Amino acid sequence: MEKDLQVVGFRIGNETFGVRIGSVREIVRVTEITTVPNAPDNIEGVINLRGKIIPVMDLRKRFGHGEIVTDKKNRILVVELDSKLLGLIVNSASEVLKIPPSEIEPPGTVFADGESSYVTGVGKLNGRLIILLDISKLLHRPEFKRLEEAAEIVATVS
Amino acid sequence: MKKQPEDRGSELRALFFESANELLQALNEAGLELEARPTDEEVIRSIRRAVHTLKGDSAACGFHKLSEIAHELEDVLSPQVGKAKGAGLAEIVLAAADTFEAMLSSYQREVEPPPVEGLRAMIRGLLAPSEKNSAEQAVAASDEAQFDWSEYERLMISEALHRGETVYNVALRIDSNSVMRAAAFQLIRNVLHGCGTVIALRPEDNAAAATVEIVEAALASNSPEAQLRQRCKIPSIVSEVWMERATAADSADHELLGELLEAQAEKIAAATADHDEANAASKSANPNSVAATIAESILRVDAARIDAVMNLVGELIIGKSMLHRALTEFDKTHSRDPLRAKMADALAFQSRVLDELHKSVLKIRMVPVEQLFRRFPRVVRDVAKHCGKDVALEITGQNTDLDKGILDALAEPLTHIVRNAVDHGVEPADERLAAQKPVRGTVSLRAYHQGTQFVLEIKDDGRGIDLDRVRKHAVKTGLMKQTDVDRLPESEVLNLIFEPGFTTASEVTEVSGRGVGMDVVRTVLDRLKGTVHVFTQLGKGTTIQLRAPLTLASIQTLLFRVGGRLFAVPLSSVVEITRVTDMEIYRVDQREVLRLRDQILTLVRLNKLDRIHAVETPEKKKKNFVIVIGAAERRFGLLVDQMVGEEELVIKALPGELVASDLVSGASILGDGTVVLILNVPAVLSRLSRATPLGAIA
Repeated sequence: MEKDLQVVGFRIGNETFGVRIGSVREIVRVTEITTVPNAPDNIEGVINLRGKIIPVMDLRKRFGHGEIVTDKKNRILVVELDSKLLGLIVNSASEVLKIPPSEIEPPGTVFADGESSYVTGVGKLNGRLIILLDISKLLHRPEFKRLEEAAEIVATVS
Repeated sequence: MKKQPEDRGSELRALFFESANELLQALNEAGLELEARPTDEEVIRSIRRAVHTLKGDSAACGFHKLSEIAHELEDVLSPQVGKAKGAGLAEIVLAAADTFEAMLSSYQREVEPPPVEGLRAMIRGLLAPSEKNSAEQAVAASDEAQFDWSEYERLMISEALHRGETVYNVALRIDSNSVMRAAAFQLIRNVLHGCGTVIALRPEDNAAAATVEIVEAALASNSPEAQLRQRCKIPSIVSEVWMERATAADSADHELLGELLEAQAEKIAAATADHDEANAASKSANPNSVAATIAESILRVDAARIDAVMNLVGELIIGKSMLHRALTEFDKTHSRDPLRAKMADALAFQSRVLDELHKSVLKIRMVPVEQLFRRFPRVVRDVAKHCGKDVALEITGQNTDLDKGILDALAEPLTHIVRNAVDHGVEPADERLAAQKPVRGTVSLRAYHQGTQFVLEIKDDGRGIDLDRVRKHAVKTGLMKQTDVDRLPESEVLNLIFEPGFTTASEVTEVSGRGVGMDVVRTVLDRLKGTVHVFTQLGKGTTIQLRAPLTLASIQTLLFRVGGRLFAVPLSSVVEITRVTDMEIYRVDQREVLRLRDQILTLVRLNKLDRIHAVETPEKKKKNFVIVIGAAERRFGLLVDQMVGEEELVIKALPGELVASDLVSGASILGDGTVVLILNVPAVLSRLSRATPLGAIA
């Protein structure tokens, strides 16, 4: 029998999303976020993660949730992308879910083209639907392209 | 060609590129020397050695195209050609240095190297007529003999020497009248084998022998030299015998990268076995041997490893301020606790050591600015030659230390400035004579430390910058209106030359000013949190002063709050701090200005920046702090809500490409864990003043 897919489940609005457990480094409480002027809209700012400065993106804004209510259950999901860390603000995150491969549907049937790029599939677990995400694809959008050029400048500062 | 297994790894290649760059530098320097003294045999020999080493090393790394062209160059590098061709040879050496550099950089990037036909044609052109000469003059065999032994063969030679045997490098010229070359070669080979042990032989077999004129061999023998000469002089087959004792140091001279350690062992062996010989060998102009002995106490370390240590030290400093904070809190609640004093002592001790550690690590990254300066004699020579001028370069302070990263970043702007100084600054000879100046122009580079800053001055004794023409040009190119230009004070007129749009190639010379790439200069210096200043005197010359911090790792900053957010600016850009009431702020042309003593100061508010306005505090305060900031001769007042203080911050780059912002040059973490952004002052000022109608001035 094939091994179950292990994902970290988190909630945004009414939906449950899942990212592969291997790409999640840790989950922390929402701390003070330092705003960076002139940074892209999706990036809330930077936080201090035990001496490391990492950028934070609000996934709720990224997924177009207009109304953002801050509460104590909010968490920052710290994920690793190309050996760089990135924080994602989510409504709540707690459980590790095990989804049998047989219960995973390809995304094409459910999502429109635009969104399906970062959705890798939809898992079914105990009657719940879990949208599986590929974090690296979340960043692959035209608006982030120009920033790669700017990164050069930052590199020389370090 | 020497062959080596390709799997010697990238480490060998990295070493190769490093040493190859040194060789290129040596080649450039020697080329310039040769230009001054075209017949100096010693210079030609040193060039030949450099080219030879480059040839061997590149072949060892599998860069055959480079090693082939180096081999061809080696052919023309003889004192005879030097005498016959004079400066022409120097020209080729310099051109070769450029070609090699281009090839090396493409090898480094792992792309196909550029074509070398241009250089090859130059070499052939030089060689063709001089071959006639050599036919008549019968060049001595010693000049043509390469003794280009492979790594293995050299090892055998040094081992034979180590055993106490005498090794000779033998070159035999096959008589041009000898009809059967292959047979002649066979005969020579037999004789050589009869004389002792043949360690190496060129050509290696009879087939290859058909086309050669010279047979080279490394021969280990116990017979006296005179006797060997006699035996090798085979009548009607060998026309000339040339023989010299091979030394271990000699083989170390041609050392390949991979066997540095063996070389050391050989040298020690040679030194003990035959002290005189080793002396003679090092005297016989082996510039590497001195370097090799020094090299023992020098480590080549990957810069990334030093940066890693630097980062950890940075973390420790943050840790220290955390401890300090904790102790202060503890102090409030348990001021009478005897433990408190103990902890304070320990902390004081720890911070002292940490301070030393920080300084030591910073020192590792420091390199003398000479590394940067040494390329400029060549640059000045090329540009001066190109525009038909006579320009001397004076260099002082080349031992001044500077962070390697800053040094590398300064290379491009410095090249721009020096080229400009020669091209546009120094006048043509007739103009100089008319102005009663010496025909030979002078450009000088000077480096020194001032406080925590590194200062680099580029000075020329040329015509200076004509401010009126700068004004006219600014109007003509539409940069400013006539009325605005007239209002500008002189210091700000000079600033115009830093504008990106200020120059176009054809108009540069017309303005007689600096301009090519001056915006690049300013951009780089902004990035380094440094400054550029221009001093000019019409008819007397121009001085451009670059100031940069000594290190990029930490920086003295001023912390303040705007709208509840914490920011830092480099202390070096702060001119003064003052307080104003709202009554003192005037509005002129929709711009807020402040009268500070005799000056009118433009005020900028950070909360006008994107995203910061969200946390703007609406309540009006009676008094505001104004930080007066100097950026490229201009002064601005930065309106802030609260001053926090001065602090040395360990700079961390903003992570990844996601939050990169030109307005922020870095971030740091304070003792309490707060993240503070370090503003890129010039970018912030230009952003904020661009939003106002008269912004074009900034």
